[in-house]
Amino acid sequence: MPTTYYLVLSFVLFLIGTAGVLLRRNALIALMGIELQLNGGNLAMLAFSRELGDLKGHVFAFIIIALAAAEAAVGLAILVALFRGRQTVNLDEATLMKR
Amino acid sequence: MSAGGATTVDMVVFGVLATLTTFFALFTITRRNPVTAVMSLVATFFCLAGIYASLSAHFLAVIQVLVYAGAIMVLFIFVIMILNREEVAPFSLRPLRVLGVLAGVYLLVKIIDVVTVGLPEAVPGAAPDGFGTVAAIGDVLFRDFLYPFESISVLLLVAIVGGVVVSRSHQKEVAAVEAHDYRHQIEELAHHDYPGEPPAPAAPEGYH
Repeated sequence: MPTTYYLVLSFVLFLIGTAGVLLRRNALIALMGIELQLNGGNLAMLAFSRELGDLKGHVFAFIIIALAAAEAAVGLAILVALFRGRQTVNLDEATLMKR
Repeated sequence: MSAGGATTVDMVVFGVLATLTTFFALFTITRRNPVTAVMSLVATFFCLAGIYASLSAHFLAVIQVLVYAGAIMVLFIFVIMILNREEVAPFSLRPLRVLGVLAGVYLLVKIIDVVTVGLPEAVPGAAPDGFGTVAAIGDVLFRDFLYPFESISVLLLVAIVGGVVVSRSHQKEVAAVEAHDYRHQIEELAHHDYPGEPPAPAAPEGYH
């Protein structure tokens, strides 16, 4: 398969993830959108790695997956803390620092 | 992957997987119920693992299933269990966000433009021997990227500690502080009722 196809798919994934982060009110879905964005990035890494025959892209993708795991853990912990404090996971209602 | 070029089988497999990935990703961000969203996210990750395998990234495909479809999804499910709330209006489209959507669409058009013009349509040649296997990636990882790899472990440690600290319940601390105050109050009251009296009368020495 030409690398271009993989890249277009990766950008589509990234855009869907961005739409999820920007448009959804539920913080959980926003976190899922971030995961989709990271996966789009990973796909681009692997596609270029295959195109260039260089395994460094695989290592980067590996590091990004570990980073995504850490990000999900901390992000979900923040959500739980937010829910404890304000009984909501709605991003539009988390406005404590706005006022 | 075949050495000569994209075979029909490759095309069909990629087409099916790419369509499913896009479909499930869209499903993820449009569902009202978070559990449905997480399940379609898992499906997205499985399809992506297939696409990784078609890029001869076999190790990464396995890791994708293990870490994403395994660990991260369990985490999401647990958090949904803790704070399951149905939304009244899942999408919020305020003026600023409309601008953001327009910017995103413009970005998408531009990026697809750049990608389709800048890159050759040719199929990349056959992958080198052992490309994407555990041995090959381990070689690169532990020779060229040893320090980044070690710093991942620090990052994961910090994430674990941070997660525990941020999400821990403060009820015990509050209870402890309250108990301390309560004890203090009792002592004060006791002092108030019997001012100047020694705490416990000692038995006189040598008295039989």
